[in-house]
Amino acid sequence: MTAALLVLLAGLLTALATGLGAVPFAWIRETSPRILALTNAIAAGLMLGASFGLIAEGARYGTAQTILGGGVGVAFIVLGERALAGREIPFGELRGAGARKILLILAVMTLHSFAEGVAVGVAFGGGEKLATLITLAIAVHNVPEGLAISAVLRPRGSSVLACAGWSVFSSLPQPLMAVPAFLFVESFRPVLPYGLGFAAGAMVFMVFLELLPDAYENASRTTVGVWVSVTLAAMILFQRFL
Amino acid sequence: MTSTQPVLLVLLFGSVAAAATALGALPFAGGRRPNLTGIGAAYALAGGAMLGVGYLLMTHGLVRATLSVMLGAGAGVVYTRWIQHYAGVDTLDMRPGREDGADFGYKIILQNTLHSAAEGVAIGVAMAYELALGGYLALALAVHNVGEAMALTDVLRRRGMTAGESAGLAVVTKVAQPLLAIVAFALAPALGGLAPALLGFAAAALVFLALTELVPASYQRLDARRVALLVSTAAGAVVFLHSLVGEGEA
Repeated sequence: MTAALLVLLAGLLTALATGLGAVPFAWIRETSPRILALTNAIAAGLMLGASFGLIAEGARYGTAQTILGGGVGVAFIVLGERALAGREIPFGELRGAGARKILLILAVMTLHSFAEGVAVGVAFGGGEKLATLITLAIAVHNVPEGLAISAVLRPRGSSVLACAGWSVFSSLPQPLMAVPAFLFVESFRPVLPYGLGFAAGAMVFMVFLELLPDAYENASRTTVGVWVSVTLAAMILFQRFL
Repeated sequence: MTSTQPVLLVLLFGSVAAAATALGALPFAGGRRPNLTGIGAAYALAGGAMLGVGYLLMTHGLVRATLSVMLGAGAGVVYTRWIQHYAGVDTLDMRPGREDGADFGYKIILQNTLHSAAEGVAIGVAMAYELALGGYLALALAVHNVGEAMALTDVLRRRGMTAGESAGLAVVTKVAQPLLAIVAFALAPALGGLAPALLGFAAAALVFLALTELVPASYQRLDARRVALLVSTAAGAVVFLHSLVGEGEA
């Protein structure tokens, strides 16, 4: 059981690391439409990069299953958005469309942590000896995800502390899922590509449904294109080397 | 099986994608004024497929060498951005109904010509690595070309051109596509060690074109939910199809 405890602690550490993504936003106070467009483009690039990693990881277990999971992820957001539409759900001070957007993005990021938690657990249980290295890798990899969440929350009026808190919250499923996945690797492994695909599909869909339309609205096509490609490339590099 | 066959296939795929452009002018034949809602869908589908092909090109490159792929990708973005900037097409207002400025006519033709050149290189690189992959890209570009020609013909008709003339002009803007596809296809094996960089370059050029031209154009003609659905479906379909007939590694 000590091994399971170690996995839990490792998972918790990685969840806390997500909060670091809020740090750069301590220096960003003004919220002009242009800043909002740029942070949307950055969040879009980071989420596309994360999906790239999820699909590549899922493809190691089965591409068809990953894409099938992706289709379910897209359907999930379509239905979820339909369920939220027309309802008044406040998020802090925010109401209406802005609050719905934030809730959907938080839901997507939190759901994708379930899949990532399973990936961590399976990796630990898959006979990997470099447990510390994996933990460190996931922790570092979570920082830009916190950055993506904060990039959406902060310009819409959340405090830096709230950004950090929601970022950590979105990663909490990681330790929760990592432990059972570690203990029952054999039963979790076949579900993994579906879960990874689900997360990627939901994220890609959110990028094109919520983040990019706002970005193009208040920044030129070139600006959006450059920021999305640069953050996308940075995310891919980040995931490969850490 | 002769050794010339793959080259002919590249020519065929590139030419089919280019020739499909003429189909975009067809609904305008005889002075008709067709429903143009399909244009946004064509752009979104093609943009999604380009992202899917970009993903596959990147992963193919990344199993070989990470840094050269990323350097190639950086060059792909800088090059595409540079071309758009110096041709003056990055400031083109593509909203429907805003196409009547004096310089719109030549700029839209310039833009179509320039990005079809970059797309041609991407077809060649993709086919050099894997014929099927280039095939999907050519198919995606054919869809893109039809939508693009519809948008172009709509503008040119209002400026007094016939549908036939417009079809001819639309195809002419694509002439570089099959030619550059063949050049890139022929050069790729000779470049040897540069292959990962070339894959990165092609992937980044496709992603950047999708982000700066196809996706924004589809938002202007279609609501965000439909765009998101078409983009993610097309991207997923390309990756899925590739896993069925792809030649090996992920």
